[in-house]
Amino acid sequence: MKRAIVFVFSICLIVGVTFGAVTAQTVASSDGMVAAANAYAAEIGAEILEKGGNALDAAIAVSFALGVVEPYASGLGGEGYAVITMANGEKHAVDFKSMAPGGVTYDLLEELETSISDIRYTPKGALVPGVPAGIQKVYDLGATLPLEELIAPAIELAREGFVVNETFAKVTSDKYEALLNSAPEFLNDMLAWETGDVYKNEALAETMEMIAENGIKCFYEGQIAEDIAQYMEENDGFITKEDLENYVAYVKKPVQGTYRGYDVIVPGPPVSGPQLIAILNMLENYNLGLMGWDDPLAIHIIQQTLVLEDVDRRYFISDPDYYDLPVEGFMSKEYARRRIMKIDLNQAIDPDTYWDHGGNPTPFEEGKSFEDVLIEEGAKEAAAELVNVKESPSTTHFSILDKEGNAVAWTQTNSSFFGTTSFVNGFFMNNEIGNFASTYRDWDVINLEPGMRPRTTICPTIIEKDGEVRFIIGTPGGGRIVSTITNLIVDLIDFEMPVDKAIAKPKFVGYVWYDKIRMEKGLPEKTLEALEALGHELRLYEYPDLYFGGPNLISVGQDGMMIGAGSIRRNGAASAPEM
Amino acid sequence: MKRLLIVLLMALITVVAFADEQTTETTTFEEPILITSGGQSPGALQMMVLAKTGGFDFEFIKDVEPAKENIAAFNTIIVVVGASGKGLGAAGIDVDDEIARLEELVSLAKAEGKSVIIAQIEGATRRGPSSDKISDAIAHEAELLLIKKDADEDGKFTTIANENEIEIIHFEKTSDARGVLKDVFNK
Repeated sequence: MKRAIVFVFSICLIVGVTFGAVTAQTVASSDGMVAAANAYAAEIGAEILEKGGNALDAAIAVSFALGVVEPYASGLGGEGYAVITMANGEKHAVDFKSMAPGGVTYDLLEELETSISDIRYTPKGALVPGVPAGIQKVYDLGATLPLEELIAPAIELAREGFVVNETFAKVTSDKYEALLNSAPEFLNDMLAWETGDVYKNEALAETMEMIAENGIKCFYEGQIAEDIAQYMEENDGFITKEDLENYVAYVKKPVQGTYRGYDVIVPGPPVSGPQLIAILNMLENYNLGLMGWDDPLAIHIIQQTLVLEDVDRRYFISDPDYYDLPVEGFMSKEYARRRIMKIDLNQAIDPDTYWDHGGNPTPFEEGKSFEDVLIEEGAKEAAAELVNVKESPSTTHFSILDKEGNAVAWTQTNSSFFGTTSFVNGFFMNNEIGNFASTYRDWDVINLEPGMRPRTTICPTIIEKDGEVRFIIGTPGGGRIVSTITNLIVDLIDFEMPVDKAIAKPKFVGYVWYDKIRMEKGLPEKTLEALEALGHELRLYEYPDLYFGGPNLISVGQDGMMIGAGSIRRNGAASAPEM
Repeated sequence: MKRLLIVLLMALITVVAFADEQTTETTTFEEPILITSGGQSPGALQMMVLAKTGGFDFEFIKDVEPAKENIAAFNTIIVVVGASGKGLGAAGIDVDDEIARLEELVSLAKAEGKSVIIAQIEGATRRGPSSDKISDAIAHEAELLLIKKDADEDGKFTTIANENEIEIIHFEKTSDARGVLKDVFNK
């Protein structure tokens, strides 16, 4: 009798099964689980687990595969962050954020009579990619299978091709004009790819073969580096061979917080881990569990919290190698108590004044209590003008858990879909430069400097209870990422929703640039009317909408049963090995 | 008698076959063609690629203004419908502005004796409230509807065609539209 109890809640997404892996939108198993934005990629991860690989092996295979099947969202030319918790208790955060090339400064941009916003969708908008170096770091942390074996399924997928899904077709169509200009070889005989077409990428297969034969080093120092540098030189980009040689991914200690007895493990700055901890610290002061998921008061509290901590993020999160910011204070529970004083349960904050509600976590950095600070001072107000960066719903996240209990939450991205649309050796170069301030500003914390890593909202998250993994969460979605992850955590923990229901629930956003609550349709009319009575303006989106992200989650019951769920907003899937 | 019957039968078959041919014969159109967008989605650009690779005599003006001098050089105008919020935003207009432009353009084209083809080549993914609003505003004025099959799964375009006695041609894939164009332009 098989040890695995694998059953499928939905068969809507079952794809070709090469091994015994079971792939669907929602899957349960006790033998390991992969949840990713694409069924092919999820299944490749499950097959690696089936072959005896651990979660790190599977994560590497999935990362390569996602670069094939979602070349618009992530790949070798992109960046990201992964959070890893090992069964032996070790915890790691792998920072493979992209890095500004050495020669790029505001002075240079001025000299070239251009700006960050002007170059964002040109080869100049690409930062030094981090995905390959991140893969190497993860591999070194404890992968067990040879790298060639982990990359082989992605090579086969690129060479043999795969069936284009609705998401692939839609995002290609949306970027058609830019692709026709910059990357016509990516298109289908100069036309957009359509659902049901078979897409092959021989150039990417050859690039990955080079990596399989020569190791990841060849991306930064070998032939691939030469090719990238040559492309940049021919197309007026900034990245040089030296920039590629200088790139390093880091293994860091993850940031940790708690929420209602759960341990929340997230990446530190310059991504949104500290912001998520700050949000959860505030929400912990409300008994959300007594309210319903569609209770207008719960939505009001969560949305206002999201807005307040988005203001704070813009002041207190950046590359820690370049800015010394009060991140510990920002994440303290004492500071959260100070921050909830900003929320009026009777009235929504006027969106025109969002910027006036920045907090001051510095005293809490020094360990002061809420009462001490309250007695001593009010919150120091911050400057008003901040960079307006448009963030696209690109990016991709996957979650993996093996039967030993090793867990990986991994988010990787090209920034915008197709990044700069610069297509080199079968992959797209990111356009992360748009996440720096558009012009230099004294008060800002994201001013471009050579070597700096941009601040972004990604937040791969692992949640434990009593030392056991309970949830692995993450999503793409640009400015919606932190809101969607918060929605999910509250739904899973406070409202005790099963993981597929949490994914399906209509999402809403709290974000400084949005003067209305952006939300998917599906909430009761009375809830919407009550929110308007609280002073909120609403902007409703059709349900489901990719704009709100594409979370791919795993939950683990106390009995060890893992439930994986792929995003309903992006053709996601979960896949489990059959042992 | 038997011979007469055979002759009559053959004549009947000929008439039926001829009648069938009459009803299925596709109207032909003449170049040069003006390709423009109806909603600023990438569909019009794809139509431009199809026309270019098909060897047609055409010009692509994404947001051509309805003026006699702008359409004078063309015999046929193809409006590729499909709304894109991003495209409309980039053009600095909203969907109602776009509809006003298109209604005026189509009306002017017909007054000037030009043929009008309305095409939807992006399929179901480019159906939605704004796209439908554009189609509702101008599709009934066309002489021919070129529609990707999955954009007409609910029969919307077929209904417009039937109600207004407009010829409609369906095709499976966007690239198939090239062959359809060749047929209707006799190339």
